[in-house]
Amino acid sequence: MKLGHFFKALHITILGFLFFSFKILAVENIEERLKSLTLELRCMTCQNQSIYDSDAEFSNDIKKIVKQKLQEGKSEQDIKIFLVERYGEYILFRPLINYNNIFLWSFPFILVVFGLFFVLIKIKRKNV
Amino acid sequence: MSSLVGFLSLILAIGINFYLLLSRYILRFKNQRFNFLIRLSSLLTLLSFFSLMYAYVISDFSNYNVFQNSHSNKPLIYKISGTWGNHEGSMLLWLSILSIFSFFFSFTKNTEDNFQKLTLIIQTFLHILFGLFIVFTSNPFLVNSILVNEGLGLNPILQDPGLAVHPPILYAGYVGYSIVFSIAVAGLFQNSDDEWLHVAKKWSLISWTFLTGGIALGSYWAYYELGWGGWWFWDPVENVSLMPWIAGLALVHSLMMVRGEQAIKKWIVFLSILCFSLSVFGTFLVRSGILTSVHSFASDASRGIFILLIFFIVTGFGFLVFLLKEPKKSNSLNLLFINKVSALVINNILMIIATFTILLGTIYPIIIEVLYNKRISVGGPYFNSTVIPIMIPGFLLMSIAPILSWQTNKIKNSKKYVLGLIILSFLVLIQSYFLDFNSWGFVGLLLGLWIILASIIAIFSSYNFKFNFKFFQIINPHIAHIGVGIAIVGITCSSVLQNELDFNLNVGDEFNVDGKRVLFKEIETTNQTNFQSLRGKFLFDIKKDQSQKIEAGKNYYPVSKMITSEAGILHKWDRDIYFILGDQKNNEWYIKVLINPFVSFIWLGVIIMMYSGLIAVTRR
Amino acid sequence: MNRIFILIPLIVLLIICIFSLIYLLSGKDPNKPPSALLNKNVPSFESSSLYNSNKVIKTKDIKNKKTLINFFASWCSPCKIEHPLFFEIRKKHPELYLLGFNHKDATLDAKKYLEEDGNPYHFVGVDSDGLIALEFGVFGLPETYLIDENGKIIYKFMGPLTKDILINEIGPLL
Repeated sequence: MKLGHFFKALHITILGFLFFSFKILAVENIEERLKSLTLELRCMTCQNQSIYDSDAEFSNDIKKIVKQKLQEGKSEQDIKIFLVERYGEYILFRPLINYNNIFLWSFPFILVVFGLFFVLIKIKRKNV
Repeated sequence: MSSLVGFLSLILAIGINFYLLLSRYILRFKNQRFNFLIRLSSLLTLLSFFSLMYAYVISDFSNYNVFQNSHSNKPLIYKISGTWGNHEGSMLLWLSILSIFSFFFSFTKNTEDNFQKLTLIIQTFLHILFGLFIVFTSNPFLVNSILVNEGLGLNPILQDPGLAVHPPILYAGYVGYSIVFSIAVAGLFQNSDDEWLHVAKKWSLISWTFLTGGIALGSYWAYYELGWGGWWFWDPVENVSLMPWIAGLALVHSLMMVRGEQAIKKWIVFLSILCFSLSVFGTFLVRSGILTSVHSFASDASRGIFILLIFFIVTGFGFLVFLLKEPKKSNSLNLLFINKVSALVINNILMIIATFTILLGTIYPIIIEVLYNKRISVGGPYFNSTVIPIMIPGFLLMSIAPILSWQTNKIKNSKKYVLGLIILSFLVLIQSYFLDFNSWGFVGLLLGLWIILASIIAIFSSYNFKFNFKFFQIINPHIAHIGVGIAIVGITCSSVLQNELDFNLNVGDEFNVDGKRVLFKEIETTNQTNFQSLRGKFLFDIKKDQSQKIEAGKNYYPVSKMITSEAGILHKWDRDIYFILGDQKNNEWYIKVLINPFVSFIWLGVIIMMYSGLIAVTRR
Repeated sequence: MNRIFILIPLIVLLIICIFSLIYLLSGKDPNKPPSALLNKNVPSFESSSLYNSNKVIKTKDIKNKKTLINFFASWCSPCKIEHPLFFEIRKKHPELYLLGFNHKDATLDAKKYLEEDGNPYHFVGVDSDGLIALEFGVFGLPETYLIDENGKIIYKFMGPLTKDILINEIGPLL
């Protein structure tokens, strides 16, 4: 039985290692970073399309600028701030986590906590 | 002429409803007389609608609405669908469907007379509100003051079979909740009989099924028409349809609890009022001009304010009656951890949290702009980060909920399920190891497959298998959940495991897609009935005897000067190969190919859900 | 206790309706977001003249001057519609410095356009790669900015200017 336990543990360790190694070794190149960033940017001349999906002139201009800045070594956050300074937070599909939006981001979490309490109280009451 | 008929019949219908609503002794009306008037009003509304349709079919440009939105070169089917392809006509469609639901409800048997009358009176109230809105701000029967020979042409994006059918089915869903709303509010006034819960169940299921179909059609249309391969964008107008859908789903599940003698009346009434309120709110958001979206109709402020008023009145009325005439305290719930009742309660809570999160995300930009005069976007990333994690525990619960007991917290055959889950996790992990590992992909795939597996285990171990209708009624919840599982697998695979290929090619080049050789055969421009088409023609898999033809390109509509992107899609059962033709640069064409695995599963899952909804209606 | 819970939907309804009403009445255009640079300092720029590449205009050159900056191009049809209005502005408000940025345009086309339709600007700067427009957050032509003497952007308008806008919105700020 001890051998069985050992193999189980080994098994789990190997699986765990594979899981984490894949995550760490994921190589992110400029193209992938460009794609994931521009997917979250709004094309200002289109109807609700992302910069990545759109082939409008505005989108192509922004794609060029974002790519250039990524190649210069700027981070995604830097680039977002750069664009927000000029086009406003409207250009970001993912709202920033700042003072104005704190309610937006915490609302679902607060509701879940409330819901949890509600269910627990109801079950406790039944078992009393 | 038809415009006159249309307008008069509309006025008459509204007039009858005024008479009904304002009659002091309305409840003393004999059933025959009452029902006759209700049905007459409904038929007159339908007459009005078909008069408008007739004007479209014969291209009667003396009608201003037809002039603005149609063209004699339009194929007949799009002339017909043009009736509702504009703001005024679609509002008349909305009103007509409201009338149809009232009409059919008047034939309901087995309900107390006063209750039925009360429900229909509330319907007439709604009819008047929307009818006046049409007459005063959105009249489709205005006369064209100039003599014209030709119309201004329909928006080319709407000239499409999927989109032609999408509004009627979608509205049947939205407007169907009006009956549920009226039933619930009438039930509050009655406050005695619980019979109305069974009536509510039937109509909620019908509305929900239609709404599912409407949303799916819209998504499917966006997928093949808009040309960039997505089918859900968390666009405000899409969100507005999703909210009543999720709330409606919570409602049908809550109404199922009635069977187990565990009625939560207050919650059911709340949901019933909420669903229609969300429908009306959706109408407001789309038509008031407050949002920009691919969907929104052109609008002006007076319309917006009128619909806002209707929204305020309808929702306020519903919740006010709810406040003043609270239903009696119902039996306390048999909540155990974990039996069917608690599972349904948790699932309700999760769904309502999802609904309210979507609501907040959709209206938040409006609030911020009013307060700070700055515009923000709350887009896909927000909803993906919040709504999906909320739904995941709900999906997990869903996998085993149908086999939970009402009374005890024991699960029969629990060992089978545990074993099934372990084996499945292992298989999915191995599959992920050989392909690209992606955490969301792993979770979604495991979740979807687990729901399907658990439901199958349940069907075969909990019931005696008999191939008759009653058996299919009994296993219906499992079938519905299998549909959801299939859809989840489809959604996960097509988004997370999507493959994208870019090419810059000359005509005559060959390239590789998905392991097959493709030939970029030619570029062809042709003139169609009301547009010019540019198509790139491809031959897929030229090594095979019969290679498949795909065309992708753009359409140019001269009357409205719009260009639409037309993707070429090769549908296979396990993947869609999606060709997009870009622009030409120095003789080279930009071509993008998307490989979307298991997209068909999304549509299959939805069809199964709709089937399940219909079967559920037949159950008592 | 339960009454409070049932009151919540009505309160939420009231909030939604009030905000929506205010939004509708304020006449905001969903296609025209308010500028991110409102009440901020005009972004720094450097642009050579359309007529003389040695003559350059920099941000500091418009300091202490009320300036109207207009982004335009010869290929932009709405720009042609608003063009005559700038002559009126120049006549009515001689103290206002009119700076035009020629955006993503060919020099020859731009010169021809200004020759045919007239040149109302005190200075026409070249923005051939669009980088100056980027700094201002421009994404469609025409766009017009009003800068006060302290170098702050006090007004932005997207689309062709009209007499109404001039009288009701820009006028009071001058």
